[in-house]
Amino acid sequence: MASLQRRLDEFKKSFESGAPPYNAPREAIEIMHRATTELKATGIEGRALKVGEHAPGFALFNQDHVQISSADLLNQGPLVVSFFRGHW
Amino acid sequence: MELEALQEIYSDVRALGAQIIVITPELERYTRALHKKYNLGFDILTDLHLKVAEEFRLVFTLPDYLRDLYKSFGSTLDRFNDEPEYRLPVPARYIIDKTGTIRAADVNADYTIRTEPAETLRQLRMLSAAAN
Repeated sequence: MASLQRRLDEFKKSFESGAPPYNAPREAIEIMHRATTELKATGIEGRALKVGEHAPGFALFNQDHVQISSADLLNQGPLVVSFFRGHW
Repeated sequence: MELEALQEIYSDVRALGAQIIVITPELERYTRALHKKYNLGFDILTDLHLKVAEEFRLVFTLPDYLRDLYKSFGSTLDRFNDEPEYRLPVPARYIIDKTGTIRAADVNADYTIRTEPAETLRQLRMLSAAAN
């Protein structure tokens, strides 16, 4: 299986080519680039919680509507937390 | 792609005594479908109105012009996330140790750039070696 970044790069290349299956218009691609540049310029990456800081605890519902708490998970060992914008 | 890549390292992560959790603002009816589609071993948690993402200081608001573009693609965040303000988390992957301290933080405003799961696994191995 190719690395995650290679898969992302291939997707990006295909999307930004404007060809099928995505048929992305040039203007749309430029808008997306502008948004990423502007978001970076806000300094959000530097403001986010960093190594050495204490992670806030949480208790949220999973896909089966079972509440999962970070405290319970951390009692068992280290935790990888991935923030994901969604499937769309 | 992030979900599939995390699933690929999931058994190795478990073997190290660690867990994976994905946090998204999406409503449960969508996370349920996503979980099923990729047959994930780990949970996807719904962070309604980005309360947790806010505490990690990862939240931004989509600019109007991008909101309009996504709408033209037929994608409506307010429906998926019950998020009329069109806020989202920047993609981020953290490793948190048993004491609650952040040991690795990868935050990238460009959602086409992600840390390799193999790198996350390497960091977890180091953490686990240091703990023993």
